[in-house]
Amino acid sequence: MNRGVFSVVGLLCLARPVLAQDTRLSAKLDKPTLTAVNAIVDSARVSKLPTAPLIDKALEGVAKGSDGENIIIAVRQLSLRMGSAKRALASSATPDEVKAAASALEVGVSERDLARLRAAAGKQPVTVPLAVLTDLVGQKVPIPTATNLVLQFARSGVKDSDLALFQRNVRSDVDQGADPTVAATTRARGLVARGGPPPKPSE
Amino acid sequence: MKEIARQLRAPLSPPVSGSFDARVMSEVRRMPRHSRFRLWSRLTTPRTVTVIPLSWGLVAASIALFAAIGAIRAFDDIQVATKPMVTALFPSTSAPKPPQRVQFVLVAPDAKKVAVVGDFNGWDADHAGYQAQHRGGGVWSVTAPVPVGHHRYSFVVDDSVWVADPTAPRVVDNDYGVTNSAIVVSEQK
Repeated sequence: MNRGVFSVVGLLCLARPVLAQDTRLSAKLDKPTLTAVNAIVDSARVSKLPTAPLIDKALEGVAKGSDGENIIIAVRQLSLRMGSAKRALASSATPDEVKAAASALEVGVSERDLARLRAAAGKQPVTVPLAVLTDLVGQKVPIPTATNLVLQFARSGVKDSDLALFQRNVRSDVDQGADPTVAATTRARGLVARGGPPPKPSE
Repeated sequence: MKEIARQLRAPLSPPVSGSFDARVMSEVRRMPRHSRFRLWSRLTTPRTVTVIPLSWGLVAASIALFAAIGAIRAFDDIQVATKPMVTALFPSTSAPKPPQRVQFVLVAPDAKKVAVVGDFNGWDADHAGYQAQHRGGGVWSVTAPVPVGHHRYSFVVDDSVWVADPTAPRVVDNDYGVTNSAIVVSEQK
């Protein structure tokens, strides 16, 4: 009797909700990797994190010829970064903002700086500023400098299109041999000067 | 002969019904039951069950936990399922943003084939819509639909070499060791 009862309890505890598996994953991943990735995706779903980036991360690994173990690690790391990003940006962050913030965390930007950027931008989306910040750090602009520049842009209400132009100009300067920090700060000065007044406080 | 006939015509003395029935039923119960009725009999025959409160408490708790998880997931599924309906009913508030056509350009004079891969096409280098065409002078380009939002992508040259877009922001990728590019596609107004 007891054996039967405990078997039922065990089965119930082991039973998991049916996973909404992505058919692209099941077609490209081996079974152990697929099981692990699906578990991470399911866990992210429960935590209200965007799941599409995790599936894309696994597919990216397949495309780049990575083995199953590396794919699992990469997906898990991304899931952790997105969790941190969402905490830093507040729960109202869009999936795009969470993705961009996760990339920023990967290059070494801190959660505290993400929170500062969120506060500085108010209700304006921070996806493009985060992409520019990640790029600047990737170009060897020191993190504090890059963060301060992007915070300054957010406070000044610089448009996304101007930010994209700023990024391209800095990259062009660096490609031509300029020091990344000097290029970024110089270009930023001109951008903030014509960025217009700060946006009105959000209602 | 007459005596025999009289005895045969004489009414039989009625058997004691209780004892007769009891004997018959006793014989019937002794007979092996048909397998078809065994389960039914087990289910319908009153039995004495010993209940251990801890065991059944665990069963009840597990069932409750399972039901709760199922209810949460069902709620999520309902939300997902009703989203298209809400979108159709209230298009102005939450209509899905249509993909935007984005031009990707790479200068690769020695390339034989250039494709764009990214999270918008499942990182599929053979995706027909993202094969760049050689425009001459080593310039390859393709204009393809990309959903609104933040995306990571790269060029794949000759099915083997991954190249980040020189004009786009970079996304350092410590996971697979190949740097990607980032693009933020916004809705055209």
